[in-house]
Amino acid sequence: MRFRRSDPHTLAAAYAMDAVPPPDQARFERHLAGCDSCRQEVRGLREATAALAAAAAVDPPAAFRDAALRAAAQTRQLPPADSASPARWATFRGRRRSAEGYGRPARGYDLSAGGYGRPAEGFGGRRSDGWSGRPGWLGRAGWLGRAGWLGWLGWRSRLVVALACVLAAVAVAAGVTTYGMQDRLDQAQRRDLTVAAVLTASDATMMSVHVTTGGTATVVMSHRERALVFTAADLRALPGARVYELWLMGPAGTRPAGMITVSGHGRMVGPMVVSGLAVGDKVGLTVEPAAGSPRPTSTPVLMLSLTFSS
Amino acid sequence: MTEGQREPRRGPAGPRPAGGAGRAARGGPRGAGGAGFEGRRAPGDELGDLLASVARGDQDAYTAVYDRTSGQVLGMVLAVLRDPAQSEEVAQEVMLDVWRSASRFNPDLGTASAWVMTLAHRRAVDRVRSETKSSERERRVATSSIAYDEVAEAVEASLDRERVRRCLGSLTPLQRESVTLAYYGGYTYRQVADLLGLSTGTVKTRMRDGLIRLRDCLGVDQ
Repeated sequence: MRFRRSDPHTLAAAYAMDAVPPPDQARFERHLAGCDSCRQEVRGLREATAALAAAAAVDPPAAFRDAALRAAAQTRQLPPADSASPARWATFRGRRRSAEGYGRPARGYDLSAGGYGRPAEGFGGRRSDGWSGRPGWLGRAGWLGRAGWLGWLGWRSRLVVALACVLAAVAVAAGVTTYGMQDRLDQAQRRDLTVAAVLTASDATMMSVHVTTGGTATVVMSHRERALVFTAADLRALPGARVYELWLMGPAGTRPAGMITVSGHGRMVGPMVVSGLAVGDKVGLTVEPAAGSPRPTSTPVLMLSLTFSS
Repeated sequence: MTEGQREPRRGPAGPRPAGGAGRAARGGPRGAGGAGFEGRRAPGDELGDLLASVARGDQDAYTAVYDRTSGQVLGMVLAVLRDPAQSEEVAQEVMLDVWRSASRFNPDLGTASAWVMTLAHRRAVDRVRSETKSSERERRVATSSIAYDEVAEAVEASLDRERVRRCLGSLTPLQRESVTLAYYGGYTYRQVADLLGLSTGTVKTRMRDGLIRLRDCLGVDQ
């Protein structure tokens, strides 16, 4: 987008001041991954911003201090980022879920050797619009086929390999983000584990359908895990006041399952994890006001019955 | 906080043109300017050493880290959010973050002070943007126990503050406005461009030139 026309280096200062909005931020972080001098510059500029903070210092009251120290005393600390663990996604291939494999928080690729990012942990807390890298594991008509069901035996190994590529791309982006990402990473880690659980479940099933307004949606679901992973490619971009909203609809009622912002045509969306599947559920996608809606208010542009294989 | 900080467009005064300036430093462990960026210089990053102890659960070290950073954290968050009650809440979250995630601090990536302030700024900005998004800014009754104007009067005049002011003063007005609107104002570079009636390209360049000049003037690590 605009980003490409200008020199991405110029964003270093805005980035150091947290002044880059998310779509640009994702792009800039990808750029950072391959730009030593940019990382160096961001680092130096961060030090300058810390001085700006120092200049704003006030004297906090004693009550504030007491509360902070009390809160710390009652809060468990995070373990160090596990830089020693190997790229665990390599062990991912086609394996069944096991307590050993997934009982602990997932770690993605260890980028610490690069000296900049701490080890990336799974999906890098990217928003859906940060997925513009389009790693290409969707939309490859060659193996994705047209709408409809695919046998699970062949696709699974390919899917896992393809997903590993996606994760690698995201891990690179995540690895170069500096500070303040931990919450998002922790959250992403949980999602990451669910994605892994769904994809490796013995009853995992993949289906792919066209969205009536354009684009393709692909769902991998596991009844056993009561969860599905939703991705889409080439969804039509919506005006700023509208978003796509995903729903589970069935005997258990209609439940919102997440909102999707598509900021440019052709973007890949997801993977989104939807948990809490019930028998008889369908997946629906509607266009809703930007703030989302508690109930669907428009005709679904996608409706997919989730058939459960046993 | 003063108008210089809240309304960076008004003039080149820098973050805090009046109030504590010229006042004798009071010293003491909780001095707000405390171990400002004066004390952040690697390899003797004392705060970084303390963080390493905090990562091992050392509460005394955390107290020391708190005393050295909380004034800056609260002041900066307050500069961005302005609402005292909300700022205290966010600053508390930040200080708890420091405790929780001390093990994630990596001295190879920057000084401890930059790490803490980045945590804090990110949280403040996230709060601003999520509020803007919901467009229903919660109206809080000012429950804060602190009268910040009085605090501002009492805050010691630190060398850091004077130095930052002086360095901000060396920027061109556009550079200074771009930097202060982004950092203290919590605006994205696109919003800054809108506010200043400039192209985003111009604003990005001004921000970068300004922050580089600031960095060089301050002589911080690079």
